[in-house]
Amino acid sequence: MPHIRPLMANPTSTDIWAVANTPILWICALGVFAVIFVQTFLYIKAARRAAPHIGMPTRELKESFRAGAVASIGPSLAVVLVAIALLALFGTPAVLVRIGLIGSASTETASASLAAISMGTVLGGPEYTQQVFAVAFMAMSLSGGMWMLSTLVLTPVLKRGGKKLAKANPAVMALIPAAALLGAFSMLAIAELPKSNVHAVTLMISAATMCLCLFLAKLLNARWLKEWALGFAIMVAIAAAYLMHTA
Amino acid sequence: MTTPVATHADASMARFESETTRYGSLTMIAGLVFSLLGPIYLVFFSGLEITGPMVWIAFVAVAATFGVFWFVEPLTYFPILGSAAMYQAFMIGNISNKLLPAAIVAQSSINARPGTRRGDLAAVMAIGGAATVHLTSLLVFVGLLGTWLVSMVPASMIEVARLYILPALMGAVLVQAIVSMKRLRPTVIAVALALLFQFVIVPAAPKTALFATALVVVLSIILSWVLRDRKEVHVATEVD
Repeated sequence: MPHIRPLMANPTSTDIWAVANTPILWICALGVFAVIFVQTFLYIKAARRAAPHIGMPTRELKESFRAGAVASIGPSLAVVLVAIALLALFGTPAVLVRIGLIGSASTETASASLAAISMGTVLGGPEYTQQVFAVAFMAMSLSGGMWMLSTLVLTPVLKRGGKKLAKANPAVMALIPAAALLGAFSMLAIAELPKSNVHAVTLMISAATMCLCLFLAKLLNARWLKEWALGFAIMVAIAAAYLMHTA
Repeated sequence: MTTPVATHADASMARFESETTRYGSLTMIAGLVFSLLGPIYLVFFSGLEITGPMVWIAFVAVAATFGVFWFVEPLTYFPILGSAAMYQAFMIGNISNKLLPAAIVAQSSINARPGTRRGDLAAVMAIGGAATVHLTSLLVFVGLLGTWLVSMVPASMIEVARLYILPALMGAVLVQAIVSMKRLRPTVIAVALALLFQFVIVPAAPKTALFATALVVVLSIILSWVLRDRKEVHVATEVD
């Protein structure tokens, strides 16, 4: 169960959890969860209203929802593992909102680390006090807020631009998402190659497992395998990484 | 696109977009407020003796590193996500390692292409499914059981997950993206550009590392268009 204690703030205390797990922070964290649940509900309602008019059966909506849910099991459990590892540094509410939602483990930990360094200390070091934690949490949240703010401002602008382009040249609009997606994931995957031999081999094993799953799915006409493929690939690759790392 | 059916479909997609823009921006503002309330309370009302300059200096330190991404990431992911899913993705987070893979899996499972109407609705539903699984697992495993699990899960396992989750994920996702897009030229172009940036351009000019992904995305789009197969019938006519 969550630790709910009275607030015992002391700028120089290194007992981070005494301030990091206070009820008010819990309420704010749960507020973010509630907002996302509400958003998901409203979006699904809007999609269900629009689908029949574009000739998309409700069955396909349900399938998409399920496919998205299944595909995210592996990545979600990975985020959970990393989040647990960071509880000691940030306490549960901050980990839930910053690492679990909104940002990602690498960006947010880096932000917190930069903030701690700006105060002349390091995360988890002997001078990582309640005061440093609060400043780091604030800096992470402001930076995350800027991401949301620029999404709020840029999305309508990009939408108008996209509409104009779609009118002028529909073939471009069909090509852009595919090219963008391939570009993004090629870079994200290839950036893992030079990190270490274990990284490179893990990447290859993950790719090979996915190839095998997709091939079998096609051969056996097994649609479920296409959805579970990502989870299998992550498990196989992480297991291999574990063996290589501890060997 | 002048048949009554198409006009009807256009109208309902337009309504879907205006609804999701309204719901999306309102919920995102609410999320933004909740995410700032916690730290604001700690900084101003808990007696931790925090001064304005402490916060500003820390914020500037973070902005110097990540400020570029505030703008680059929304620009990079917009063409993939479409406007509706933008509001979901930037609040739920973990975009490249969770939401995009979920959207690709869903689109390929119903054979819809990204950027089409069916593709957009499939992405929104897939992100909804991913969000449901993600929020539930976070609430249960981190919120409720986290402090207990921290003492149970061996440290070496957490360490391996932290170190190698990205390669374990990205290899599979890249394959899935290539297979479900079924576009040979853009695939070759994207992979070649990524190799070029990772092993030639970034080592030669380390400052480009910050923009590498965004540059590869933009150049993939441009080169895929310039070098497209001109004999191919316009793909736009086969969408939806």
